[in-house]
Amino acid sequence: MIASTDTALVLSRICASFTDDEKDIPILKDVSFSIPAGAFVSIIGPSGAGKSTLMRVILGLMPHTSGEIVRNFSRPAMVFQNYALFPWLSALDNVAFGLHMDGRGRKERERIAREKLKEVGLAHLESHYPAALSGGQRQRVGLARALAIYPELLIMDEPGSNLDTITAEELKADLLKIWRSYGMTILMVNHLIPDVIELSDQVIVIGARPGRVEKTLVVDLPRPRETRSPQFFKHVDQLTEAIRAVS
Amino acid sequence: MHRAHLKRYRRAWLLMAGIIGAALLLTAFGYFGSDTWTTLGIAVLHTTYRLALAYGIALVLGVSVALLVGWSRFAEMLFPLFDVLQNIPSFALIPLFIYFFGFTSEMIIFFAVSSIIWPILFAVLTAIKSAHADLNDAATIFGARGLRRIRYYLAPLSFPAILTGSIVGIAIGWEAVIGAEIITNVAGFGEFIKAASVSGISPSMLAGTFAILVIVFTLNRMVWAPLLAESSRRYAE
Repeated sequence: MIASTDTALVLSRICASFTDDEKDIPILKDVSFSIPAGAFVSIIGPSGAGKSTLMRVILGLMPHTSGEIVRNFSRPAMVFQNYALFPWLSALDNVAFGLHMDGRGRKERERIAREKLKEVGLAHLESHYPAALSGGQRQRVGLARALAIYPELLIMDEPGSNLDTITAEELKADLLKIWRSYGMTILMVNHLIPDVIELSDQVIVIGARPGRVEKTLVVDLPRPRETRSPQFFKHVDQLTEAIRAVS
Repeated sequence: MHRAHLKRYRRAWLLMAGIIGAALLLTAFGYFGSDTWTTLGIAVLHTTYRLALAYGIALVLGVSVALLVGWSRFAEMLFPLFDVLQNIPSFALIPLFIYFFGFTSEMIIFFAVSSIIWPILFAVLTAIKSAHADLNDAATIFGARGLRRIRYYLAPLSFPAILTGSIVGIAIGWEAVIGAEIITNVAGFGEFIKAASVSGISPSMLAGTFAILVIVFTLNRMVWAPLLAESSRRYAE
């Protein structure tokens, strides 16, 4: 498969497996898809379908056994389901972590980190440690940490699933705003069908055991999306059908 | 929870105040001989100095080795080896230390290092091994790779483990230093109470036991308790 400059990521026939007691357990089987640069793509599927493994393979954190990946981005960043903030660092230092590792000076990285904390609405909590923050606040710090390195690809693994409905709704609205202003590619694992339809340009439905692409859905509704329109519900139905077929 | 902790804390202080009060009373009534305190003071200083030095060496060595092994790909391989080494009863090695260093202060220090190092090493290795996979991934994704992974990720991650490993290590260290002094008769607290207890319970022996109690209690309350409280507050999930 050939990746043009407007394609952020191409996966062709990716297989991955775990070795357990000398036995190979396949996790991903022949996973192929491509993501256009700047698109918002969601991945949806039953638990145990290897979605987290897929993210780790894309990020190069885990080897794949066969297939080919074309990564057309220089910096990936990730937002985690359970935040994965460094507990020994303040909110500000957590956000500045990637810049610190890039060798930026203290003044510069703190200026950028403050800016990012402000963007996610947490400027007043910069000296707090993660243990003193609520779930929603931690997730925002995690988002700011990712934004601080100006990622070309942002991977999000169920960022809203540990949050209450109101907090998750706010996060979703902010995320859309951020995506528009940064123009990065977003790949998000999500369980909530209406959210997936509201956010995504493209939805990849993954089946389980082993994880494989069952269906790819294009959501071409105009933005900002009207979540009460018949077209919106039509897409929700379509996606629900696709997921039913998988499970 | 917090109140229960305060209560326990207060009880510990009360107990200690009682012990100090009783000792002061006994001193006032002339129970302890006049020359006991200087001899005891010097003996305790010897022992404390050896323990401090041994702990310092064990801390640097144990943490460095654990961080390097935890960082490398050999952690899984080396873990069982360390486990076997740790299980060798440390006092069984005393003849070996005497053979190499003689009946000297250095011998006691190096012997103590060989006991103190294990709880520190294992605490740090376990902390690195059991770190949340997502946290490991976050460190990698945001650039803590290569050797800087040790400084900016593994070392701060291990801080609570270094603390608990140190507390256990120092407890074992007192035993190692005092035990070795008793065995080898090298001047120090062990040798002091050994001499003092030859003819049963003597005032000197009681004074010695009391002195070590005060040191251990003070170290615990003044150094480890505040550090532990800080670490559990910050590293809480």
